[in-house]
Amino acid sequence: MTVPPNGPPPELDPVIHAQARLRVVAALSTLHDGDLLTFPRLQEILGMTAGNLSVHLRKLEDAGYVDVTKTFSGRTPTTLVRLSGRGRLAFDEYTAAVRALLPPPSN
Amino acid sequence: MTPLDEDRSGEGSPGSPAEALRVIEQSRAEAERRLQAHPMVFFGPWGAAWLLGFGVMFLRFGPDGRVLVDIPRWLALAVLFALLFAAAGISGFLAARTFRHVRGRSSVQGAMYGFAWMLSFMGMGITLRHFNTLLPDPDLSMLWATVSVGLTAALHMAGGAVFQDRLLFGVGVWLTAVNIGGALLGPGWHNLAISVAGGGGMLLAGVLLWLRGWKPSP
Repeated sequence: MTVPPNGPPPELDPVIHAQARLRVVAALSTLHDGDLLTFPRLQEILGMTAGNLSVHLRKLEDAGYVDVTKTFSGRTPTTLVRLSGRGRLAFDEYTAAVRALLPPPSN
Repeated sequence: MTPLDEDRSGEGSPGSPAEALRVIEQSRAEAERRLQAHPMVFFGPWGAAWLLGFGVMFLRFGPDGRVLVDIPRWLALAVLFALLFAAAGISGFLAARTFRHVRGRSSVQGAMYGFAWMLSFMGMGITLRHFNTLLPDPDLSMLWATVSVGLTAALHMAGGAVFQDRLLFGVGVWLTAVNIGGALLGPGWHNLAISVAGGGGMLLAGVLLWLRGWKPSP
């Protein structure tokens, strides 16, 4: 990481600072408040395998960043995912920290 | 090869702050593209149905009671209603395909909004039938057209307010203006106004948004 000239670099959240989990959190951040996304659709958007996505969702769920709900659509089991309030805050903070680490534009 | 290709588990960190921001922007753009319907999904079928359907109505029920193309009365009405039902079916199918994987508040809003369309048009059909034997052809045709276009415009504005969608709201305002303008010109001309400015306007708006690379609202 590039260290900015003024002061120490902001801490980057290790849970989000991994390619796959960053993509999961960024995609979920586009959902409107109170909305949930089905697991297969999230998998399709991210182009990840079901196993890989499950592993990363588990880590995000353990950190309290996503809510995973298992329910039924008729007789079909459905898994619904959304970013928790804490997850949205963590994502906003991560984005702000990354922006602060960008080298200043050269004029 | 990018760091992402090398790291199949996804545990690797973005190589730089710029790379992290690029990952965020790409993922958000992809999700937005797949979770929101392009306006053309609605403008395409409805614009075409109005352009052609009210175009045929204008040719059969022209200004001052003139018949510009002598086709049977029932055929002009059948063409209009067949096109409107087809538009409702096509846009409903395409929208459902986009939105069916999102549950929660938006899906409840969408279901209530769809139900409002169905119920209000059913109510309009049942109540306006009362006038079918009371009014002469030109007035009757304009009554059905002005009420249905007015209702469509009002539902667009209400949808714009519910979904915070300025485009949807703007279409409602435009259709209200076209409806009033057409009604002031009188029977016959109203059909032409709805066909060209209403249907044609929607198609043109859809094509322009397509060419400019439409982005979903945040």
